[in-house]
Amino acid sequence: MNLFKQVRFALPFILFLFIVILLMRGLSLHPNQIPSPLMNKPAPTFSNDFKGHVTLLNVWATWCSACAEEHDFLLQLAREKEVILMGLNYKDNPKAAIRWLKQQGNPYQLVAYDPTGQIGIDWGVYGTPETFIIDKKGIIRYKQLGPLTQEVWEQTLKPLIQQLQNESL
Amino acid sequence: MIPELGHFAIILALCFSLVQIKTGVMQKTAAMGQCLFLVFAMACLMLSFLTNDMTLIYVREHSHSMLPLIYRIGAAWGGHEGSVLLWCLILSGWTVAFIVFSDAALSRSFFSKILKIMGCISAGFITFLLATSNPFKRDFPHTLITGNDLTPILQDPGLIFHPPMLYLGYVGFAIGFSFAIAALLEGKFDPTSARACRPWVILPWSFLSCGIVLGSWWAYRELGWGGWWFWDPVENASLLPWLSATALIHSLAVCEKRSAFIGWAILLAIITFSLSLLGTFLVRSGVLVSVHAFANDPSRGLFLLIYLAFIIGSALLLYGFRIHLFYRSHSFKLFSRETLLLINSVILLTAVATIVIGTLYPIILDALNKGKISVGEPYFNLVFVPIILPLLLLMGLAPHVNWHEHAFNKLWKKIKYTALISLVVGLLSPWVFGFPFYVSTGLGIAIGVWIILSTFQSRLELRHCAMVVAHLGIAITVLGIVVNKSYSQERQVKMLPGETVTLANYQFIFNSVEETQGPNYQSITAHFTVEKNHQAPQALSAEQRIYPHNQLLGKTGILWNPWRDLYLALGAPLSDGSWSVRLYYKPFVRWIWAGGFFLLFGGMLSLLRHYLKRRESSHESF
Repeated sequence: MNLFKQVRFALPFILFLFIVILLMRGLSLHPNQIPSPLMNKPAPTFSNDFKGHVTLLNVWATWCSACAEEHDFLLQLAREKEVILMGLNYKDNPKAAIRWLKQQGNPYQLVAYDPTGQIGIDWGVYGTPETFIIDKKGIIRYKQLGPLTQEVWEQTLKPLIQQLQNESL
Repeated sequence: MIPELGHFAIILALCFSLVQIKTGVMQKTAAMGQCLFLVFAMACLMLSFLTNDMTLIYVREHSHSMLPLIYRIGAAWGGHEGSVLLWCLILSGWTVAFIVFSDAALSRSFFSKILKIMGCISAGFITFLLATSNPFKRDFPHTLITGNDLTPILQDPGLIFHPPMLYLGYVGFAIGFSFAIAALLEGKFDPTSARACRPWVILPWSFLSCGIVLGSWWAYRELGWGGWWFWDPVENASLLPWLSATALIHSLAVCEKRSAFIGWAILLAIITFSLSLLGTFLVRSGVLVSVHAFANDPSRGLFLLIYLAFIIGSALLLYGFRIHLFYRSHSFKLFSRETLLLINSVILLTAVATIVIGTLYPIILDALNKGKISVGEPYFNLVFVPIILPLLLLMGLAPHVNWHEHAFNKLWKKIKYTALISLVVGLLSPWVFGFPFYVSTGLGIAIGVWIILSTFQSRLELRHCAMVVAHLGIAITVLGIVVNKSYSQERQVKMLPGETVTLANYQFIFNSVEETQGPNYQSITAHFTVEKNHQAPQALSAEQRIYPHNQLLGKTGILWNPWRDLYLALGAPLSDGSWSVRLYYKPFVRWIWAGGFFLLFGGMLSLLRHYLKRRESSHESF
């Protein structure tokens, strides 16, 4: 009886412990990383362009300030030549996009223009910038929301790309 | 120079808070000094915003050289760092207010313990501010910059009032918490302490009510969907402490009048402040996706979690070991006001639990690797409404019932006509107002009317005015919600200038589109005229604004009176020169917020009464 009483008083504390453990776990989860339904599915468009090499497809626009932020980093990646860079210019004016690439430098080996956002719908683009990694068989292997940074590159993308490079066709 | 002074002032404030934790004559002085230096730090931050000091990272990210003056002041708490500073400032402000206005009847050691606990809470939070969220951090960019700008949605008068009001609310519960811990340490919590504690729960509760209402109103105007509550994690974070504080206020009344429910009140005081801290953690750690999310940094989340675990964990441990000192048998009959107030607590805590579960559920699932989901309105409406309904019915009943014991027959005699009248009025009123009839709406209105009538019937003495006003506030909000949910109408249409659309007997005529230039934005304004059956037409306009950095913001147009809002939101332009437009007819929506202001007013009245009574009794003792 006495034991029961003691346990009863400790109940709020025990409950609280559970919540703390849960929140601790929650800190290491990332609610903003929504898995793409296209993950491990073939790329919806330009499939022939991807065959035979690992590609990084970057969705960007001239009106997007976060894209301007990652632009320098993309140029650096283009110099390092570890991966084929491809751009998807999303809901933008193609002329403005070409002018912008001339001024700021063009990191992409190939740029597709999607002024109406139709291709974006096929790819499930939420907003710019977004980056997809596509393997040698043309299958989407990773999707990154938000700008590319050195940190993301070193921790996630670079190891993944190296692994994909080693996969056989 | 100014930011460095501000930074230094925060460090001094931390030192003062440490002094406040140590006992001694210096305690009050330390609390005052701490408050003074935090005010100084806040002033420095505001000055940095006013002078556009773009070398401060915080200013750069939340301001723009073209931002209007008033929003530059509000921007001081428009981001994470500044709002943590505001949190600390308000906490120390509460401490000073407590020192100045607290009840002289409190024993010295009790009083000193309360200040110590407040000091601990404050020291932890100022450390958090300095270690992870320093608003005075500088760097010197090479190029001239104009700043990232304050998020357009924050550029609204709501920013000036809503966050301080909300913080005044949930930070203020630290005093009730400190009372509870001091009581556990002392081993006693007598009616005098309960009486001394009550205003320090009611006051923050009033501010929180007002803050929640201001937030709801802001979301309604800004988000452009005509909704006033979204069950967003951050909204839940403010509602949770409100619910448990409501239970606490009622339980403290039992402590004060009947010396019962003491252990329960102590637990509720701990829970209330814990929920405030939990809310702070949820908003700032990024564990949940929310429209309010601050820029996140994992080190902040971890610091806050450790802080929260330490404060709440030690409080609950202390509770577990000491609470047996407070258990006395107190007899009351099954049908008595004590029982009804106990039911009140149980219902409110059940509501708290369901909201906590709904809010944390995405984390639970994600932690178990069951996928990422979000829990939204359907869940909350489904579980919250049935829990709260019996509480609303009891609200009309409890004020009639005596302490200790009440004969059920006598009560039934007294209230049967009130109940009948409420039911008839509720069922007839849709018909009188010319609305279509739904049984659920009629019953909902009947509940609102029932609370109003029976409150008036039971308590028409001056000394109960605070409770009467607060209960009326709830009734008004309930009526607002019921009518609004049942009879709101909306249309989403494509309109060319010159076209007319009819919604709920109102004709909306789209006159023209005009481009204008605001202080720091360009805007496209759509002008409408609203007519109803040959009454004088009224002008209504809605905007689409483009801020620097290409941020888009819709500004809704609202025509309001106490009975209905006409609400207009401008969507995107379409290729053929037409515009997509959303029109809403929102009956009684103002009542929802009016009820909240009644709560604030009721809280103030209760303080006034407390103050007058104390003056009276101190006169008697001389």
